[in-house]
Amino acid sequence: MKTLFLKDMRYRQARVVLTTLGITMLISLILLLGGIMNGMRIQARQYVASTGADIWISAEGSGGAFIGFSMVVEEYMAFLNSWQGLVPDSASPLVFAQARPTVHGKSTKAIVVGYKLGQLGGPKQVIANEGRMFTPSNFEDYRPEDPVPYEVVVDEKMSLEIGEQITLGNEKVKVVGKAKSRMFVLDTPLIFMDVRIAQKLLLGNTPHVNMMIAKTNKNEQPVRIAADLDALETIEARTLKQTLGDIIAYYVDEPMKAVQFLRVMLWLVAGNLVGMITYVTMLEKTQEIGVLKAIGGSDNYVMGLLLKQVVLISVVGVVLGLILSYLFAAAAPIFVAINFVESIIVAGISFVVCCGSGYLAARKAIAVDPMIAFRGEI
Amino acid sequence: MAAVVEGTGLTKRFGAGDATVVAVDSVNIRIEAGELVMIMGDSGCGKTTLISLLGCILTPDAGELRIDGEPIDPVNEDLSVIRHEKIGFVFQLFHLLPYLTALENVMVAMDIASTKTDAAERRATELLTQVGLRERFHHRPAQLSGGEKQRVSFARALANRPKIVFADEPTANLDSRQSDNLMNLIQELRREYQTTIAIVTHHEGLKENADRIIHMKDGRIVTA
Ligand SMILES: Nc1ncnc2c1ncn2[C@@H]1O[C@H](COP(=O)(O)OP(=O)(O)O)[C@@H](O)[C@H]1O
Ligand SMILES: [Mg+2]
Repeated sequence: MKTLFLKDMRYRQARVVLTTLGITMLISLILLLGGIMNGMRIQARQYVASTGADIWISAEGSGGAFIGFSMVVEEYMAFLNSWQGLVPDSASPLVFAQARPTVHGKSTKAIVVGYKLGQLGGPKQVIANEGRMFTPSNFEDYRPEDPVPYEVVVDEKMSLEIGEQITLGNEKVKVVGKAKSRMFVLDTPLIFMDVRIAQKLLLGNTPHVNMMIAKTNKNEQPVRIAADLDALETIEARTLKQTLGDIIAYYVDEPMKAVQFLRVMLWLVAGNLVGMITYVTMLEKTQEIGVLKAIGGSDNYVMGLLLKQVVLISVVGVVLGLILSYLFAAAAPIFVAINFVESIIVAGISFVVCCGSGYLAARKAIAVDPMIAFRGEI
Repeated sequence: MAAVVEGTGLTKRFGAGDATVVAVDSVNIRIEAGELVMIMGDSGCGKTTLISLLGCILTPDAGELRIDGEPIDPVNEDLSVIRHEKIGFVFQLFHLLPYLTALENVMVAMDIASTKTDAAERRATELLTQVGLRERFHHRPAQLSGGEKQRVSFARALANRPKIVFADEPTANLDSRQSDNLMNLIQELRREYQTTIAIVTHHEGLKENADRIIHMKDGRIVTA
């Protein structure tokens, strides 16, 4: 009778369904937390990678372009334009700052990116038919009292239309175009503008920038050039790879340590849940197990019956959890990117954890003395 | 005549130290093929312990056991195999699996013995018909009366064509009409299958059905 274990499960339907749902929800939570972190990692990378810069230069002691507070005086960086190994004139000033623009009367989060149009650091053009780039200011002979056009290009995902105004600091700026979305960590949209306006709005109109970025020549090793520049007294220099590593460590991995811990805890909870429910069910079945043994069922026979139930519940719970996590991810209010390979690994581990704890409970249950069959209700 | 079950010097103790109970004390017992034996005695005298020893559910602390002429080695043998191949059990409280129908409850015994499902279903049908439950194949235990449940138990006990069936107080939870019916059934089953049966009972009224009565007192067999 291959379906014996199914009949038993049908008899205890409510419990089976609840256990399965419990596993389903825990697995999807574990996967969603992973998806959130993965989404953060993707977003932490995408802007930086999109700039095309190979070398990231920040102030000495800042710990990296996106890590500590970094201000460099752009004029002093002129030497970069002829630095051996860098593409001539590729060095670009960059303001990258958290800001709270007022959009449609509401204060929202965003990151202001101030760069030199045509240089590294921001889009060269807007999305087709979505406005135009901002008007560049006079960069080279700029004087603080010069007027600048208050124009910005916004991330397409910001619900803003061409021609609308947003408030940044005390100034109103006009949206003139939309750029392809490159949201930063936790769905933070980017607002692109001329570096001079960024200085005016955010840096007290001083000739500072947060960092300089540059391209290396094709045949050069970025690691070597970064090391040469890093040796200079006033600046730190890092490669794209190091910078990406820094950003992920600083914006994702460090703050998400607690979440990682939580994920492990959830696994323990899932294992415990299956073990506990299996164990309680087994306690209730002690008499039945004793009778099966008394009428000649071997330990393996009884174990088979119990394990089939544990495995079926675990498989269904895990698979439903997988499906549910993808549905949740699609519906989530923030960017969640569940990595397929990771989800398979998580599902595998969860399956092993659930089956393992079910097995332990079952092993305890089959130790019952078949003499119990001669006694009354226990 | 050949002995189906033969125990020599069987002893079983429970507990330790001052609390030790010798439940079965150096018992010699032979049950011949085809016999209907009744084991009687006061509550706590060791009847259940004795049939558990004879049915290979318990292992003796001392003594030897032969079933169907073969000596049993409780240390090196898998007793569960002996239990499902050679022995049938009927319990006072029936102990049918609540989630299975009458038919499936009989089939489980054969599933344990690795009988193919269709063969098991055929035999279960035949046995349930024999015990008069033709109309109850697909009823769950909760939908059966005590007498009907005990009939299913007997059908289950006979499923693997055992050498002997042990029944522990099979009528204790039945009313007198149901227990008379059950005794009639037992006689009928003996005629049909020539099964050897050992019944533990309190009911003096059942005595007349027995070929032989074994009296127990304080773990020993006594002559009446
Ligand atoms: N598992 C056990 N642990 C301790 N004592 C037991 C156990 N099983 C039976 N006994 C004791 O052994 C004696 C015989 O019990 P039992 O064989 O059940 O008697 P009967 O079936 O004749 O009523 C009793 O004193 C009982 O308390
Ligand atoms: Mg008893």
